[in-house]
Amino acid sequence: MLAAIKRPGWTRGALGALAFAAFGFGLVISLRAISGLPLYQTEQTGYPHVIVPLILAPLGFLAGFGCFDYWLRWAAGAPTIPDDHSQHGAKTWKDYFRFNTDHKVIGIQYICTTFFFFFVGGLMAMLIRAELAQPGTQIVDAATYNSLFSTHAVLMIFVFVIPVFAGIANYVLPLMIGAPDMAFPRLNALSFWMLPLAGILFIGSFLAPGGAFDAGWTGYAPLSTGAPLGQSFFNLGVQFAGASSILTALNFLVTIITMRAPGMTFWRMPLLVWANLSTSLLVVAATPFIAGAQFMVLLDRLLHTNFFQFAAGGDVVSYQHIFWFYSHPAVYIMMLPGFGIVSEVISTHARKPIFGYRLMALALLGIVVLSYSVWAHHMFVSGMFSWLRVPMMLTTLLIAVPTGIKIFSWLGTLYFGKIHTYSTSMLFALAFIVTFTIGGISGVMLGMVPIDIHVTDTYFIVAHIHFVLFGGSVFTIFAGIYHWFPKMTGRMYDEKLGRVHFWGTLIGTWGTFVPMHWIGMDGMPRRVADYASQFGNWNLLISCFAFMLGAVQLIFLYNMIVSWRFGPRAPANPWRANSIEWQVSSPPPIFNFDEIPRVVGGPYEFGVPGARHAIMAGEGAEVPATEPSVVGSP
Amino acid sequence: MESATVALGHHAEEHHGPPEANQSSRIDKQTLGILLFIVSEVMLFGAFFASYFFLRVVVSPAAWPPHPYELPVPVAGVNTAILVSSSFTVHYALESIRRGNREGMKLGLLLTWMLGATFLFIQINEYVHLGFSARDLSFGSIFYCLTGLHGAHVFVGLMLLSFATIRAFRGHFGPKAEDHLGVEVPGIYWHFVDVMWIIVYVTVYIL
Repeated sequence: MLAAIKRPGWTRGALGALAFAAFGFGLVISLRAISGLPLYQTEQTGYPHVIVPLILAPLGFLAGFGCFDYWLRWAAGAPTIPDDHSQHGAKTWKDYFRFNTDHKVIGIQYICTTFFFFFVGGLMAMLIRAELAQPGTQIVDAATYNSLFSTHAVLMIFVFVIPVFAGIANYVLPLMIGAPDMAFPRLNALSFWMLPLAGILFIGSFLAPGGAFDAGWTGYAPLSTGAPLGQSFFNLGVQFAGASSILTALNFLVTIITMRAPGMTFWRMPLLVWANLSTSLLVVAATPFIAGAQFMVLLDRLLHTNFFQFAAGGDVVSYQHIFWFYSHPAVYIMMLPGFGIVSEVISTHARKPIFGYRLMALALLGIVVLSYSVWAHHMFVSGMFSWLRVPMMLTTLLIAVPTGIKIFSWLGTLYFGKIHTYSTSMLFALAFIVTFTIGGISGVMLGMVPIDIHVTDTYFIVAHIHFVLFGGSVFTIFAGIYHWFPKMTGRMYDEKLGRVHFWGTLIGTWGTFVPMHWIGMDGMPRRVADYASQFGNWNLLISCFAFMLGAVQLIFLYNMIVSWRFGPRAPANPWRANSIEWQVSSPPPIFNFDEIPRVVGGPYEFGVPGARHAIMAGEGAEVPATEPSVVGSP
Repeated sequence: MESATVALGHHAEEHHGPPEANQSSRIDKQTLGILLFIVSEVMLFGAFFASYFFLRVVVSPAAWPPHPYELPVPVAGVNTAILVSSSFTVHYALESIRRGNREGMKLGLLLTWMLGATFLFIQINEYVHLGFSARDLSFGSIFYCLTGLHGAHVFVGLMLLSFATIRAFRGHFGPKAEDHLGVEVPGIYWHFVDVMWIIVYVTVYIL
């Protein structure tokens, strides 16, 4: 037992969480006692004796779990010990449940954790649809309904879509650029372990008095500043999820810039790498804004500051400005990595070079720059400065141009390609192009001020966001999971079940979200548990499709779990792709490479005679490296 | 594909280290990492500055600072000078170790640490004597948040400098570039903290 307490791991992590929580609780109580205040402050926005332990307990867990051991040793001035790689790689399934610095293990950890939250959030969507199947209140009351749609959105956004992309890239990206690991492996592990803590805070808010947070995922002030205790769980959870994604993005940027294989210039990087470079730029520079906004709400709630209190000189609309200055770039954080995945899948399965490769990369950077200039199109009806409306409308329409470039480039890649659809990943990629285009067009519609004012807070918005986030992001996530499943697990998945999953998901998505456009145009408001009976039939239809959509995800789960355990062995390169991760075994060796490969050409030279992307160690020694091993810093 | 199967056979049970990564940029990982982290920090300050200008310019109260409140501009000015001078001492520490002068590095780090701690002490002293709290109007909220956020960064910077100082006194750094990253990286962060204070001071106290 004593040994278990000394060794980093779950026991020490749990003890650390308990100890830090007890310390925080004692600190609050004793400070209040000294100040002559009542020991417990339980008006609904207060609860400092809950909030402070909630901040400290996750830190205590991370410390106990071993996330800081190396750094603390360094900080104390102890001599550094050479890395014995005992925290690197997984030999048994148990190694996935400890502090592990291997990017491949962390990738799997990310993907499994985020899909757990995907299914929890999906279950909430099923409850929402069950309640909405009929007008009136049947299953949950209005307050619980508010908590359900808020938690559904927050789980899907902060602990599914954003981090699952980080997970896929964590696994694939270092292999793709010929790096033995990420630039900062320990920071990488820390970033991962903050993520489940954020998810636990979000779900744990259901236990708070007054129920889970219910101000929507946007948490607008002053709705959030006066909401029950659960809202503080949201404020804190966002901090952990945000810190996790900032540190991961920083790690990606440093890895991409400093650790590319010799010969891999920026214009030879696969588009997935470009996509993650762009996304990481967005995360590093935008995410602090949501951290700031949630800090202000938390301070208003807990310390009674006046950021959003009108009577004391506060500005309510400033919350929306600061929030959307993050959250509009955030929709591209949730989309750009998917663009990268789709580019890989389409080029590989159409057996053609990417059409307009450089323009594809530049379009990504164009989206990054433009995405900072469109935030107020979420606020046309908020009472903000009216002069800001038209400029925001114009930039919103402008950002459709680089996005359109990408769509046309994928079509150009497919044009006259040898399109193979034997992989479910290609089916999802093709369906993504169609579905995302529809969602993109409704986005352009929403960018127009008059249309936006007409459909604000209706189901048209719900339809648009699910077309781009489910039909867009989630389709690309499925495409990526199917594409790299053989590489990650060393097994092939069941293609028949994959097809059933694909068609069920496609029909379910369209059946669920297409009718929402119409009832939204007719004025059915979003975020309400009950609605006018004239929308009853449409909602029943939507709910039926939604249940089907939910059910086929279980097929996906079954396929993944059973194939991982019992599937046929995967060859190193089942899709005949060019990029480096396919040139190593499936799953890759523990340290990725014997020697770092040399890159001698572009990643998509399909059908070009004699073209090579990379030369692996031990082959082709006669081919001279054409590039110097050090290229200029960007 | 052939190489892949070969690689698998080699690696299945062996436990040697990873291959040396290719260095594809002139900038090293740690320096680039701290620069990107600073970009992130600047944006965090940006969120609070955005709030500051909304509360001051958009809401536009009759007087800023609101009537009975006053900010001790000269005291904070002296404090600014203290913090800015610490940027020079930390630079002196870095230049010293570059030339192999360990004693100069120790002196520079110690001086920086003491100047930073003095800044923090004067700042806390100012809070005690201001006569308004974070609950007093939006002015109080944003004043304490901006200066407090900066104070927290000074505290973090002091922690990093402590680590560097401890290691400096244990003789851990050397004149080669990769041997004194432990001084250089906290130094970059400290310069950021200083520059950010100048912006905070000009915005909150002078403008």
